[in-house]
Amino acid sequence: MAGKSGREISAVPENGLKSKILSWEGALVLILIAVNILGVSISPNYTANNVFREMPRYLAETFMLFGMGYILVLGDIDISVGALVCLSGTIAVLASNAGAPFILTVLICLLVGLLGGMLNGIIATKFTELPTMIVTLGTQIIFRGIAEVLFETWGNGGGTASMADTKGLMLLAKRIGPFPIAFFCVIIVGAVMITILAKTTFGRKIYAIGSNKTAAYYAGIEVERIRFICYSILGLLAGVCALFLLTATFGSNTTTGQGFEMEVIAMCVFGGIATTGGKGNLIGGFIAAFIIVCLRIALGQRNINTQLILVIIGLMLIVSVLVPSISSALAARKKKRSA
Amino acid sequence: MKKKSIGQFLSESREISLVVVLVILLVVIGIINPSFLSFTNIRQIFLNNTLTFLMALGMLCVMLTAGIDISITSTLAFAGMSIGLLQKYDVIHNTFLLFVIGMLIGIVCGFLNGLIISKGKVAPIICTMGFMYIWRGMAYVISNNNWASGMDVAGFSDFGKDGAPGPYIILVIAYIIFFIVMKWTRFGRKIYAVGSNTEAARVSGINVDRTLISVYTIMGFLAGLAGVLSVSIYASAQPNMQYGKEMDVIAACVIGGVSMSGGRGSVVGTFLGALIIAIISKALPMINVPNFWQNLIKGIIILAVVLLNVITQRTMERQNLLRREM
Amino acid sequence: MKRKLLSVLMTAAVCASLMAGCAAAGTAAPAADAAPAKEAAAEEAEAPAEEAADAEAPAADASGATYALVTKSAGNPFMERMASGFQEAIEGAGGTVVIQNPESATPDAQIPVIQSLISQGVSSIAVDGNDANALSAVLAEAKDAGIKILTLDSDVAPDSRTVYCNQAGVQQIGQTLMDAVYDLTGGEGQYAILSATSQATNQNAWIDAMKAISEADSKYAKIELVEVAYGDDEPQKSTDQTQALLQNYPDLKVICAPTTVGIAAAAKVLQDQGSSVKLTGLGLPSEMAEYIGDDDAHSCPYMYLWNPIDLGRLAGYTSMALVDGSITGAAGDSFTAGDLGDYTIEEIDGSTQIILGPPFKFDPSNIDDWKTVY
Repeated sequence: MAGKSGREISAVPENGLKSKILSWEGALVLILIAVNILGVSISPNYTANNVFREMPRYLAETFMLFGMGYILVLGDIDISVGALVCLSGTIAVLASNAGAPFILTVLICLLVGLLGGMLNGIIATKFTELPTMIVTLGTQIIFRGIAEVLFETWGNGGGTASMADTKGLMLLAKRIGPFPIAFFCVIIVGAVMITILAKTTFGRKIYAIGSNKTAAYYAGIEVERIRFICYSILGLLAGVCALFLLTATFGSNTTTGQGFEMEVIAMCVFGGIATTGGKGNLIGGFIAAFIIVCLRIALGQRNINTQLILVIIGLMLIVSVLVPSISSALAARKKKRSA
Repeated sequence: MKKKSIGQFLSESREISLVVVLVILLVVIGIINPSFLSFTNIRQIFLNNTLTFLMALGMLCVMLTAGIDISITSTLAFAGMSIGLLQKYDVIHNTFLLFVIGMLIGIVCGFLNGLIISKGKVAPIICTMGFMYIWRGMAYVISNNNWASGMDVAGFSDFGKDGAPGPYIILVIAYIIFFIVMKWTRFGRKIYAVGSNTEAARVSGINVDRTLISVYTIMGFLAGLAGVLSVSIYASAQPNMQYGKEMDVIAACVIGGVSMSGGRGSVVGTFLGALIIAIISKALPMINVPNFWQNLIKGIIILAVVLLNVITQRTMERQNLLRREM
Repeated sequence: MKRKLLSVLMTAAVCASLMAGCAAAGTAAPAADAAPAKEAAAEEAEAPAEEAADAEAPAADASGATYALVTKSAGNPFMERMASGFQEAIEGAGGTVVIQNPESATPDAQIPVIQSLISQGVSSIAVDGNDANALSAVLAEAKDAGIKILTLDSDVAPDSRTVYCNQAGVQQIGQTLMDAVYDLTGGEGQYAILSATSQATNQNAWIDAMKAISEADSKYAKIELVEVAYGDDEPQKSTDQTQALLQNYPDLKVICAPTTVGIAAAAKVLQDQGSSVKLTGLGLPSEMAEYIGDDDAHSCPYMYLWNPIDLGRLAGYTSMALVDGSITGAAGDSFTAGDLGDYTIEEIDGSTQIILGPPFKFDPSNIDDWKTVY
C-alpha cells in the first residue's frame, strides 16, 4: 500500500472518518492540537503572532524534511545535509561579499546544495555496495571541511563569514500579515513534494524501490536513476534551508547546520516514515514537524531548560515508534484472553 | 602474471589491504615528521583514542547484527558525568566503586536500547537516536551547568594519567576477550548468525531477541566504561564530552571492513580501522596541516579508504569469476 | 473499536503527561521560571520593603521589569557563575530574572532563545554572543520591540547593542598575556597559543592584540609565536593539539591558552609528561587548582581571569540602569553598580563599553582561596 503510514495504530484499515482519526496522521493532528492547547495554557505569550514570529528559524529545517522523506522511503539515509547547509550558506555569503547581486546569490546557494546532493547521489549509485550512511558520513566531513577551508581563505577571520549586503535577505525575512514568507514557501514546497510522492508514478517507484529494490529493478524501474534524483532533490532543499537560515543569521560559521540531519530524520520518523523503506508518507512528517516546532516554542516561552526539551523530544520519538508494537501486543493479549 | 598475483593477494584479505594502507600512511607521515614514530607518540595515540578503540568493539558486535548505535557518546557522557559528580560532591572516591557505577549505568542504558529494539521491533537507528537526545540531555540536566574538574577527580585521575598502565591494560584485555569470544565461542557465532540471516538464525533455535539484547548491553557496558575512562584520562567531566564522536567509532568499524548490513567483520579489522582513524587525527596536526584543512583531509581519507575497499572487493569478485570460467 | 480509541488516547496521554511533567519541572527550577511582565506588576507592592532593606543600592526599584540573560551555552561553569552574579544583582533590587542557556554554543541555538524572550516581553536582554554578526537580525527585532540590548563577556557587532560589559579591555588582556609570555620565556624563545574554536570573537581579538603588541615593541623581538592551535574547547582535541605542539617544536618554552577548557587540557598534558614547557593563559581557578604551582611538578606558574560573578553583577546593574533610563548607553554616561562601585561608559575603537577591571592573577599564593569560589 503505497502512501500508507508506516505506523498503524490499529491493524485493520477501514475507510471513513473514524479510521482517518485513528490513523497515525489523525493521532498526530490530535497531538498538534494538544500541544497548542498546552502552549496557550502554560504561556500567556503563546499567541499566533508570536508563534509565527518565532517560527522561521525552525522552518528552515522543515524544507529538508520533504527530501529526507523521499530518501527514507527509498530505504536510504543521508546524514550529510547539515554540513551541506553550512557549505551552501558559506559559499552564498562569500559570493555576495564578492559582489554578486542578490538573485545570483540565491541561485548560487541553491546550486551548491544541488551539486552536493548530486555528489552524494553519484557515490551512492556508483557504489551500491556501500550503505548510504557511510557515503554521507564521508561527505558530511568533507562538506564541512570545504566550508572551513573557505572561511580560512575568504571569511571574516576565524571560522565565520557574514554577509555585508543584507537587503535581499531582509526582504525574504518579511512577513505577510502574521505569516513569514518562509511559512508560505514551506507550504508550497510541501504540497508539491507530498503530491509527487503520493500521486505520481515517480512517487510510486520510490515506494517500490523502498519495499524491494531487486523486485523494483526486475519490474523495469530505473532504480539508480531515481535514487540519484532523490539525492539531488534533498541537496537542493538543503540549499533552500541554507537560504532561509541566512535570513535569520546573515552569515555562516563552522557550526552552522550542526545536528540538523538528526533533527530532520527525527521529524520524519515521528511522522510515521519507517527508516527501513517503503512505508510512510510526508503528510505525517509535515504535521510532526509542526508539533516539534510548536512544542519547542511553547516550552521555550516557559524558559524550560533547553536540554530538557531535547530529552522530551527523544522520549516522544521512542514512544511514537513503540506505539504499534505496544498496541499489537495488547491486541494479542486480548485475543488470548477471549480465546 | 606476478603483478596480478599481488593484486589477488591484496584483495583476498581485507585485513591485509588495511595493513598496506596503514603502512603507507605511516611511511608518508614518518617521512614528513620522523618524531611521529617515537615511542611516546605511539603510546599517546593509543591513550588519546582509548575510547574509540573500546567502543569500536561494541559497535562491531552491534553492526554484526545489522544494527547501529548512535547513542554511545551520550551514554558515555551520562555515565562520565554521573561519576564525576559523585566525586565532586564527595559521595564516593573509591576508584573501583566508581568504575562499577559507571559500567552499571552503561549496562542499563544499553539494555534499554536492546529491549526496545528487539521486543519493540524498532529500527536501531531510531531507537538509539531517541536515547542519544535523552542521555545527552540528562547529562546536562544532572550537571546543572557544572563540571567535575581536575581538583574534584584528583586521585581517580591517576588511573588514566599519561604514563599509567591502566588504560592500556583495559584495552589489551578487552581486545583479547573479544577476539576469543567472536572467534571461538557459541555466543560469537550466534551474533554472526543473527546478522547474516535473522530468520535462519531463529529457525535454527537461536534466541534472536536475547542475542540482540546482549549485544546492545555489551555496547552500553563499553560506552559506560569509556565514560569512566574519559573522566580519568582527561581529568574532567563535562556534559558535552565526546559530542559527535560516535561517527568516528562507526567510521572506524566501516574502514575496518565491518558491513553495515550485518554478518561480516572481525575484531582484527576493527582494530586496524580504529588505528587508522586514530593515526589520522593524531598525525594531521603533527605534519603541519593547517587547522582549517584537517577536517577536509580526514573526510577524504575516510571516503577514499571505504571506496578503495569496494573497488578491491569488486576486482576480487571478478577474479573469482574468471578463475571459475577457466 | 474501543481498543483503537484507547490506543489513540494513550498516545495523547503519554505526550500530555510528558509535557505536564516538564511544565512542573519548569516551575520548580528557580532560575528558569519567569513571571511575565503583567503578573510581575502584582509584586510591586512587596518591592519597597526590599528596597528599604537594601538601602545601599541606589538603582533599587527594578520591580515590574524582567531582565534576561542569554549565556553562551548550557553546561559551562563560567556561564553558571556569571548567571548567578546577574541574578543576585537584579533580585537584590526586586526585579525578575530570566536566565537562558542555549542547548549548544552556537549562534543558531541563541536565535530561538532570544526570539522567545521577545515574545515574553522582557525589558532587557544581556547576551554573551557566540558570533559577532549572526545575531544582528534577531537583536534588531528585539530592539524594535523596545527591549534594551547589552552584551557581556563576548561582544556582537556594535550597532546591534547599546553597550558591552567588557571583562577587561582587549588591549589590556593582550598586554597581560604577552607580559606573562615574556616573563616565562625569559625574554626570548618560542611560544604557541592554544585557542578555543576558530570563530570565537573574543579569543580572536585577544590573539590579534597579542600579535600587534609583540610587533609594536622591540622588547618582544626575540619571542617567536610558532603556531595558533585550535582545541575547539574539547578536551580530547585540545590534548591532541598540545601534544602535537610539544612534538613539533622541541624548543617550545611557553604555551599560552586563553580558554578555560584548553588551558586545563594543556595543563594536564604538560604535568603528566613532566614537560619543562610552562603554561599560562586564562582559566577557572577550580579547574586549574591541581596544576598551579611554582615548582617543576606543576605546569602552570600563574594564570589570569576576571571574576565571572562580578561580570554578571555588572551586567545586571547595567541592565537595570538602561531600563530605568538612568543611562542611555552613550559614551560618558556613568552609574553606580551596587557595591562594585561607579562605572563610566567609554568609547573604545568606536564601540561603547564598560570595563570591569584588570584581569586578576591567580598564583600559588591565592589559588586555594579561589578554587572553591568559581
